[in-house]
Amino acid sequence: MKEEVLKMKEKAIQEIQNAEDLNSLENCRVNYLGKKGELTAVLRGMGSLSAEERPVIGALVNEVRDEIEKEIGVTKQNLKKKELEKTLKQEKIDITMPSKKQELGSIHPITQIIDEIKEIFIGMGYEIADGPEIEYAEYNFDKLNAPKNHPSRDLQDTMYITDEILLRSQTSPVQARVMETQKPPIKIICPGTVYRSDSIDSTHSPVFHQIEGLVIDTHVTMADLKGTLEVFAKKCLGEKTQVRFRPHHFPFTEPSAEADVSCFVCGGKGCRVCKGEGWIELLGCGMVHPKVLQNCGIDPKEYTGFAFGCGVERIAMAKYGIDDMRLLFENDVRFLKQF
Amino acid sequence: MKVDIEWLKDYSEIDVSSKELADRLTMTGSKVEGIETKGNDIKNVVVGKILDIKKHPDADKLIVTQVDIGAGKVQIVTGADNVKVGDIIPIAKDGSELPGGVKIKKGLLRGEESCGMMCSIGELGLTLNEYPDQIEHGIMILPSSYEKFLGMDIVEVLNLKKEIIEFEITPNRPDCLSVEGLGRETAVSLGKEFKNLHKNLDELKLENKKEIEGLKVEIKAPDLCYRYVARVVKNVKIGPSPEWMRKRLNACGMRAINNIVDITNYVMLEMGQPMHAFDINSVEGKHIIVRRADKNEEITTLDEQKRKLNEEMLVIADEKKPVAIAGVMGGLNSEIENDTEMVVFESAVFNGGSVRLTAKEVGLRTEASSRYEKGLSPENALRAANRAVELVKFIGAGEEVEGVIDVYPTKQKENKIEMNPDRMNALLGTDISREEMSNIFESLGIRVEDNMAIPPYFRQDIEGEADLAEEVLRIYGYDKLKSTLIHAESTAGGKNRAQKMEDNLKNLLKDKGFSEIYTYGFMNEKDLEKCNLKEENKIKILNPVSEEFNIMRPSTIPSMLNAISFNAAQKNENVRLFDISRIYHNDQNQIQEGNLPSEENMLTIAMYGNCDFYDLKGYVENVLKECNVKRYEIRKEENKLSYHPGRAANICVGKDTIVTFGEIHPIVQENYGIGEKVYLAEIHIDKILKYASKEKKYTPIPKYPAVERDIAIIVDEAVEVGEIERVISKKCRKVLEDLKLFDVYRSEKLGENKKSVAYAIKFRAEDRTLTEDEINTYMNTIINDLEKELKASLRT
Repeated sequence: MKEEVLKMKEKAIQEIQNAEDLNSLENCRVNYLGKKGELTAVLRGMGSLSAEERPVIGALVNEVRDEIEKEIGVTKQNLKKKELEKTLKQEKIDITMPSKKQELGSIHPITQIIDEIKEIFIGMGYEIADGPEIEYAEYNFDKLNAPKNHPSRDLQDTMYITDEILLRSQTSPVQARVMETQKPPIKIICPGTVYRSDSIDSTHSPVFHQIEGLVIDTHVTMADLKGTLEVFAKKCLGEKTQVRFRPHHFPFTEPSAEADVSCFVCGGKGCRVCKGEGWIELLGCGMVHPKVLQNCGIDPKEYTGFAFGCGVERIAMAKYGIDDMRLLFENDVRFLKQF
Repeated sequence: MKVDIEWLKDYSEIDVSSKELADRLTMTGSKVEGIETKGNDIKNVVVGKILDIKKHPDADKLIVTQVDIGAGKVQIVTGADNVKVGDIIPIAKDGSELPGGVKIKKGLLRGEESCGMMCSIGELGLTLNEYPDQIEHGIMILPSSYEKFLGMDIVEVLNLKKEIIEFEITPNRPDCLSVEGLGRETAVSLGKEFKNLHKNLDELKLENKKEIEGLKVEIKAPDLCYRYVARVVKNVKIGPSPEWMRKRLNACGMRAINNIVDITNYVMLEMGQPMHAFDINSVEGKHIIVRRADKNEEITTLDEQKRKLNEEMLVIADEKKPVAIAGVMGGLNSEIENDTEMVVFESAVFNGGSVRLTAKEVGLRTEASSRYEKGLSPENALRAANRAVELVKFIGAGEEVEGVIDVYPTKQKENKIEMNPDRMNALLGTDISREEMSNIFESLGIRVEDNMAIPPYFRQDIEGEADLAEEVLRIYGYDKLKSTLIHAESTAGGKNRAQKMEDNLKNLLKDKGFSEIYTYGFMNEKDLEKCNLKEENKIKILNPVSEEFNIMRPSTIPSMLNAISFNAAQKNENVRLFDISRIYHNDQNQIQEGNLPSEENMLTIAMYGNCDFYDLKGYVENVLKECNVKRYEIRKEENKLSYHPGRAANICVGKDTIVTFGEIHPIVQENYGIGEKVYLAEIHIDKILKYASKEKKYTPIPKYPAVERDIAIIVDEAVEVGEIERVISKKCRKVLEDLKLFDVYRSEKLGENKKSVAYAIKFRAEDRTLTEDEINTYMNTIINDLEKELKASLRT
């Protein structure tokens, strides 16, 4: 009996190990351990055994059953693993097939530049101000120390709606409006659309964008202006950017300067973008003219301030290597989606 | 302003390279636009003498010459017919270079060897203007005295090497529209002494006469004419001016005309004071009257154009007629003629604004007017007139008549400004000593007396402390300015709600596949018609950049359709665009009352390609969701004819329309040549901001289960689903969680003009599980109401 059981065990283990898939393994289990299985049959037939044999064979059968179950367990794991491997192999796909496209849109390069500049100045505690595009000549010129017949009015060809109302030729009237309505300290930047009667070509547009900054407080200096613009230039154009001030003239600032930045393409060695100069003209700036402060109701004896303004298109063109300004207003999606 | 560097050297020593000079001047505020070098393109051209001329054996029109070029003799073949033996001429030797990249090489001309070329003035890059004695087509014949230069480089001999600096002078510095002014800036910039060449003129004392040679001067408009100086020269011989003068004029970009006119131009370049010279006999009654023009008065100016004048304009007149437009141009009737014997030099100063307006109105911007309009100093007028007389004597063009007529009604005031170095340093953020400031001022001609700084007469632009500070800084060096950050109260900064909303919308639309575009605020009036738009009170631009852009836009539809049409023409597929920009309205006639028109921020989105009305509607709903606009109604829009009348809608809050959207009218689409259906939405973002809820509040996630029931009903085709939804939700709002349209079906079986509409209705109560009975009651009510209100029947 004992030998029969041991033989059965060997056979069972052999069959288990030979099982090729989970199904045949299950069949094995049923054949030996199921209700009608061979080993179960031995236990059922124990009644015919002697009293001495019964516990011995009983223990042996239990032992053999444990071993078979264990073997089934191990084989099951292996077979599962094999089957998973097979499935994974079958499920392999061609990852170079095209994607299901979720078409993305784009933000216009001018907006991107303005946003970048806004972020830099917001970080320094500036607010964003805005004003009308159709503006009084008084705000666009007179309050900014450019009264009627002032020669500086010739520098800009302004479009008029009436003698007194015009399309703003600069964002500076926003400064005047802010100074009239807010008390210092004032720290603002004003991005906006401006209009000048330039014909459309690769470097001119009758509509373009400026961003201006204005700071008014009790102890603001021209050195502060330079420092502020340096922060701006480094963050916007790269950490190595240098700023150079050159004397200039604007009616609304005194002293006035033009700020050049070291060419961010060649680093100042001279290239096509900077026309070999190493410097690129970035913006106009200066200390707010005492007459402007006065015109806007701020006491120039108590307060000083600085202002700066730059053309956004020029920065965008230089930064993104755009060689024709018309592209910015043509709105061809093949252009727009590059940004 | 163009200046020959040689001329600047009259006023200041220059011991640096031209490039360095340009940099220094730029850094002190006289911006150099560029340096033009002349004469460098001429190489190996020498002075030669013709020794012999023979006919060419094989060509009638050529001659064979033997020329002495200093270091020997060469044979040159030429077609020129103005040369003879003994002439001194410029010779371009074998291997020489001429302006324009021309290279001269030895060669055979019809079999005869020619070792170079004789040059005309044109071939040397010179003009008749500089060399009026020469001829244009023919060889340049040099004076016989030049024989001593035989073999020498022509560039040296004729002094052709020139470096001309072009300055961009800012409008506040009319004094720098003169060589004297720039000479002063040069001296200061290089730390050299300014050589005052005209000290004698400053010190000259002349008798101020009422009348000279019968000439009288009267200023009738002292508000527009600050000073009028007249000096007279007699026994004038009109002829060409000397070569040095012509060359200097030419270098500065002015044409030489005759000795008297050249002197006026020379003095203007030299001292910045425009001058006018005229024949004393052309002045009727010898009485000069400076007055406003009469209405409808006319004058023919030197350029032979008839100009209409008006009462705003200032003229120089005699007793009968205007002889010049003051500060702009002289009249043809008083022009210097070849037989002129007595000349009046006028050196006057006019109101800048008046000259500017006059020049603009008559459409004539001259060297004189562009100086006058910046506001010249009356103090300069007398010395300039005296300089002109000095030059007449110097070049032997005539004789001085003693005395001057100097009408100077209001003397230029001296400006005294308190000099406060502390305050200037505080403005600049510098630490410059009083002494250093004083030195800077002195070098610029600004006198320092006690605590006062007194700018010289030619610096009327220095009005206050800030101007003084700029003078200090530009000479001290803008590049020495430190970089500091503001020491002040910190400010919060940041974006406001509207600005943040705009940013969010841009990002939302970008994620949904829309590209942002930039459009012009103005448009063509005709585009209104193209878009079926009507605008009563158009905002017209008086001086548009072109007729293509003659009004400010009352709608963004035209500019958006332009962009769409451009993309369609490029065959770009499935295009989606958005634009945030302004529209302008004059609906209350604000402009006519002197007020500003209204401006409104619009978000415009548009698309064509793989999309329909409902895609657009979805995007519009996304926008409203993003802005947290909760309660709104969608209404049909049948009257805005830019849109398809059956496929357009408004989104309204109360009486306010916050969005209009729909399919573009087929005719409008055709007008823009777009071959596909276009869907467009005009979103009034300023209004949306008004209705955007600031609050965002949490609603607990439901605890009790929902029950779903489907319902399909048959209704007339004309019944809109919006109606059906209104009826369904009317009586079960509290428990109605969601209503989803999942099918619209039409068939013959249903009957003509009928449709089946199916909904999934989701019920849920906040506080309990709804019972089967409750749901059935709701469903029965819904079915009843649908039958009653919409004549609907259940589809079984």
